Amino acid sequence: MLKNYALVIEDDEDLSSIFTKALQTSGFEVEAILDGQAAEQRLKEIVPSVIVLDMHLPHVGGATLLKQIHSNEAFKKTRTIITTADNVQAEIYRDMATIVLIKPILFSQLRDLSARLITV
Amino acid sequence: MMNTLQNLWQRVNLFENASADDARRGRLLNTMLAGMLVLGFLALIFTITILSINASWDKPGNSLILLTLVVLISASLGLFFVNQRSVNFASFLFLLVLTLVLGFSDSPSEVANGRSSFVFFIPIAISSLLLSPVSSFFFAFGTSSIVILLSYVADVSVNVPIIGGLFFLALISWLSSRSLEQALRDLRVINTNLDNLVTQRTQALSDALSRERIESGRNQAILNSIADGVIVFDSDNHSILANPALSRLTSTSLENLIGIDANQFINSGQISEANREMLVEFIKHPEKNTSALRVDWGKNTFSTSIAPVQTSDHENIGTVTVFRDITQEAQLERMKDNFVAIISHELRTPLNAIMGHAEIMKEAVYGPLNEKQLSITQRIMVNVTRLLSMVGDLLDEAQIRAGKLSIAPQEFRVSSLLENLHNSMDKTVTDKGLSLVSKLGDGIPAQLVGDPQRIQQILFNLVGNAIKFTERGAIEVNIDRVDADNWKLEVTDHGIGIPENELPFIFDTFRQASHEVSTRQHGGFGLGLSIVKQLVELMGGHVYVKSESGKGSTFTVSLPLKTSLL
Repeated sequence: MLKNYALVIEDDEDLSSIFTKALQTSGFEVEAILDGQAAEQRLKEIVPSVIVLDMHLPHVGGATLLKQIHSNEAFKKTRTIITTADNVQAEIYRDMATIVLIKPILFSQLRDLSARLITV
Repeated sequence: MMNTLQNLWQRVNLFENASADDARRGRLLNTMLAGMLVLGFLALIFTITILSINASWDKPGNSLILLTLVVLISASLGLFFVNQRSVNFASFLFLLVLTLVLGFSDSPSEVANGRSSFVFFIPIAISSLLLSPVSSFFFAFGTSSIVILLSYVADVSVNVPIIGGLFFLALISWLSSRSLEQALRDLRVINTNLDNLVTQRTQALSDALSRERIESGRNQAILNSIADGVIVFDSDNHSILANPALSRLTSTSLENLIGIDANQFINSGQISEANREMLVEFIKHPEKNTSALRVDWGKNTFSTSIAPVQTSDHENIGTVTVFRDITQEAQLERMKDNFVAIISHELRTPLNAIMGHAEIMKEAVYGPLNEKQLSITQRIMVNVTRLLSMVGDLLDEAQIRAGKLSIAPQEFRVSSLLENLHNSMDKTVTDKGLSLVSKLGDGIPAQLVGDPQRIQQILFNLVGNAIKFTERGAIEVNIDRVDADNWKLEVTDHGIGIPENELPFIFDTFRQASHEVSTRQHGGFGLGLSIVKQLVELMGGHVYVKSESGKGSTFTVSLPLKTSLL
């Protein structure tokens, strides 16, 4: 597992950049991916310590990715933060994620939260 | 033979053109004549038989008897005919003949002053009945004259007591006949009145019946032309009335709708199980259901309302159910809800981006800002927060209306509700120069079971509302226990309050108490309280408000919450 390495999977460029900045501010090295399929591919190559996953993604949905991450032993120690605007969806996937954030998500909220996940 | 006689008898007794009294007298004369005829015939047969047996035809008195009988029969028949022409004349003739016959019925001395003198009572008595009451005096005079005449003929003294007796009888006959005629006249008047009454009543009844027919025809026409479906169930829940609109709306023939059982009727439609149960309950207990029920029936959506049918003495004899087709309205509403949901979701993403970027600037991620830049960045954030909260309200409202918002009970820390409240609201409160005071009641357990997010949202909305409408003083938040299973959240402010006439509508969608301050001044869609009410009701609780204009308001939410998941 890559230490203090975060993968931000979010299709909205603005949000992606804000999330990236928040995690970077907390001390993470961040890689941003805008597409579900690309993310699925990338997750076969690396095991980040934190994944910020939007549930609403093109090509491969956030739910599919979440199931893959959840069922993969390699990601056992990876913290998964899912982001969604849908309350109902949030409830469904709550058990599979470490943290569920309901949109709108504040920069400071994600920054302070991720700061607690930094390993020294 | 009998029939012919009977018809003949009826014909001679008709007296169509005579007055009622004359007809009665004519019939009485007919009866007497008939009696005499029968007696005459019987006497004739008897006499002929006796004379044949004794072979005594040649005795001079016998032929006289026979002749008298023949004259009697002929006179009777003759009088029948006269009677048809003139009752009075026939009666007079009859009485005259009777008097004369009686005058010769015995020796002149016996008739004048002996045992036969009383035979004259007969014409006097009969005349009062046959002619007129007063004619009895005329016949008393006539018969008295005969008695006096015969007294001279027979050379006997005039019997004054007999003449007195004849006049006394005439008096009695006159009185009794007069009373009889008066009684008959009265009876006739009564009869006539009775006849008129019967005619009037018959006419009235016939009028009422035709009115009823017209009325019921008119009611049927009205019922037939109503666009809403109408069905009436009797107290046994069998339909007794339905209109063509219902037949059209439910695609069931009108004949099949009459006499149908309420359950059968509901089961005949394509309705969801939940709607079916609600509708059955609705029809069976009309007294409990005052507001309309929305039912999806096949492809249609109906607004269903029901009322008990009561007689004038308040006896329930059934129910009337009205189905209004609101399919189009329901479709529009669904479209609107979807539209709102999509729009608010799509609005949120860019707003979230603006917010994030502003925050990055404010947090000096790319280097420190000067005072002016910081202030502007903060203004951006405040306004975006307002926009986000409005969009959030719209989305919540749309989700609640679409039935998509569910309550997820879980154990939560009660104190965290107040902590989150302070974290989010303290700054806004102090910025406005207010204070937020919260209190957790004694004996509140550390944990309760409920949907913390939704309860938090209720508190946010109520406190947000209080901040919006308060200019000074404290906003107080209390969480307390009501009883074993019920808990109370109370938010009190000392703001502008709500006028009494606005209180009933304060929880309506898109509503803000409109006095003095406009929606524009306070911002928001006026959805906050509506969402609170709907969330509270989703959780099985109640919300109510006490308010005094100018002094402030207290919103109380009572929620049934368990203390543990088990």
